[in-house]
Amino acid sequence: MIELKNKKLVFTFPEIHPRAKLTISFKKTLRIPDDGNTYPLPPGLGTFPLVHVDDHEKTVPDEWLKHGGVMLPMHQSEAMWINFDSDFIEEHDTEYPFAVKIATGKINAVTGGEWSEGLERRPQNYLVAPKQPWLDGYHVSRDSIRQFVAMPLGDGYTAEGQITGREEFGGLQIQVYPMKREAFEKRWPKVDMAGISYSVDEAEIMYCRKSPDMGLAPGGLMRQKIYADEFDLSEWEREVSSRCFVHLANSGQWKTITGKLPPENPPTARDYSEHGLPWFEYYSDDKPLPGSRVLNGLKSVFETGKSKRQNPLPENESADPKRLLILQKRQNPNQVREWRE
Amino acid sequence: MQAQTNFLFVLDNVYRVVHDTYMKNAFGSYVREKREALRQKDKSYSLRQVAERIGIEPSYLSKVERGFPAPLSEGKIRALSDELEENPDIMLALSGKVSSDVLDIIRKRPELFADLIRQMKEMPDNAVLRLVREVRDGDW
Repeated sequence: MIELKNKKLVFTFPEIHPRAKLTISFKKTLRIPDDGNTYPLPPGLGTFPLVHVDDHEKTVPDEWLKHGGVMLPMHQSEAMWINFDSDFIEEHDTEYPFAVKIATGKINAVTGGEWSEGLERRPQNYLVAPKQPWLDGYHVSRDSIRQFVAMPLGDGYTAEGQITGREEFGGLQIQVYPMKREAFEKRWPKVDMAGISYSVDEAEIMYCRKSPDMGLAPGGLMRQKIYADEFDLSEWEREVSSRCFVHLANSGQWKTITGKLPPENPPTARDYSEHGLPWFEYYSDDKPLPGSRVLNGLKSVFETGKSKRQNPLPENESADPKRLLILQKRQNPNQVREWRE
Repeated sequence: MQAQTNFLFVLDNVYRVVHDTYMKNAFGSYVREKREALRQKDKSYSLRQVAERIGIEPSYLSKVERGFPAPLSEGKIRALSDELEENPDIMLALSGKVSSDVLDIIRKRPELFADLIRQMKEMPDNAVLRLVREVRDGDW
C-alpha cells in the first residue's frame, strides 16, 4: 500500500509485518556543475511538493491518468535526490529492509537496463534501503553517480532518450519489495527491551511545449556509492511489491495544472559554496556495486548540449566546496543532509 | 478521500476535546493553563508578551482567559496556537469554530460529507484512521 503524506510516499506492507514501512521523499538540491569534476554531496534544500495526478484529472495529460501515481514540479535543469527512510524498530534493534527499484523514463538508474518486473542479482537491479540512505543520480561507477537533472522530453538529453532512442515515459518509476518477515525476524531476533530506553526520534493546456512532461538526464559527477545487497535474494518477498509512477511536471505548467506556484529554483552551486555553506560526504563500510557501463556511456547534459550547440545549463560554473560535513551510518540519529536559511 | 480522512480525524479529536473540556469553560481555561505552564519555563510567556506577539491588547487576552465574551478571529486563534505550540484545529474547536479550510471542504460536497460523518459517528478511532487514500497505480 502506498500513501501520500506530507509530501512523502509512504510504502507499507501490513500483510508482511506491521512495522514494514518505507518513506520516500524527493529533495530539492543544488545542481552540481557538469564540468568533469567529481563533487561531494550537495545539501537538501527542502522537499518537492507531491500531489496525486487524480486530483487534477482535468488539467493533466491523459497519459498521466493512465499511469496513475503522483506528480511534482521541476524547473528545467533543476536537480533532485531521492531520500529513503524507515522507522527504527526498537524490539529488533534495526530498521525494516526493502529492495527498491528506481527508474527514470523506465530506464533502471542502477543498471541502465530497460524496466522489467522483478529483482535481479546479476547485475543487481535494485538498491537496499534504508541502508542506502539516498540516491542522487545514475550509477556510473563504483564511486560516483551522475546527478539527476530535469530536462524536457523530446530534446534527446534524458537517459531514456539516449538509451532507447525514444522519450515517451519520462518521470520516475519506483517499485518497493519488503524483506520476508521470517528472514527479518531470523536476522534480527527480538531483543530484550527490559532496562533499555530509547529516544524516539520525513495536455490539454500547453503553451511552449506540447506536453508538461519532464524526464531526468545525467548531470554532473558526484561521489556516491550504491551498496551491494548483503542478503540472499530468497530473503526478499518478491511476490509482494508496491510501485508508483512519479510524473515530473514542467514548473512553468505546474500552476496551470494545480493552481499553485512551484517552489523557486535553488541557488547555484558556486553561490552556495562561496557563502561557506556545507556540502556532505557519506561514509559506510558496506561493499559498493560496480557502476553500470551503459550508464557510464551516457552523455551528460552539458556534453549533449555541446554536441547540439545548445546551452542547456546556464550558470554551470565550477564550484569549490570548502566546508564539508561528514555523515556516517547510524552515527547520530539526528544527522541530516539539509541546509535551510 | 485524503481530505475526508484528515477531516474526520480532526473532527474526532475536536469532538473528544470539546466534550472533555466544555464544563471547564473550555477555551479560556485551556489557554491560561497552557500559557502558564510555558511561563514556568520561560518568562516571555507572560500575558502581556503573548498578547503583544499575537497582536491584541493584554486586557483582551485576559478577558479571553477568564471566559468573558471576547471573540478571537480564526487568524488570532491560529497565532495563539503557534505561540502555545498547540493544535490549531483543537484550539478552534474549543472556541466554537471550525477551521475555514475544513468548512470549505464540506461546502464543496455537503451532502457527501454530512452523510459520511453521520455514518462514522460511532466508529472507533482506529477504524476511522484506517480509511486512507492509496496512491493509485495505473498502466505503465
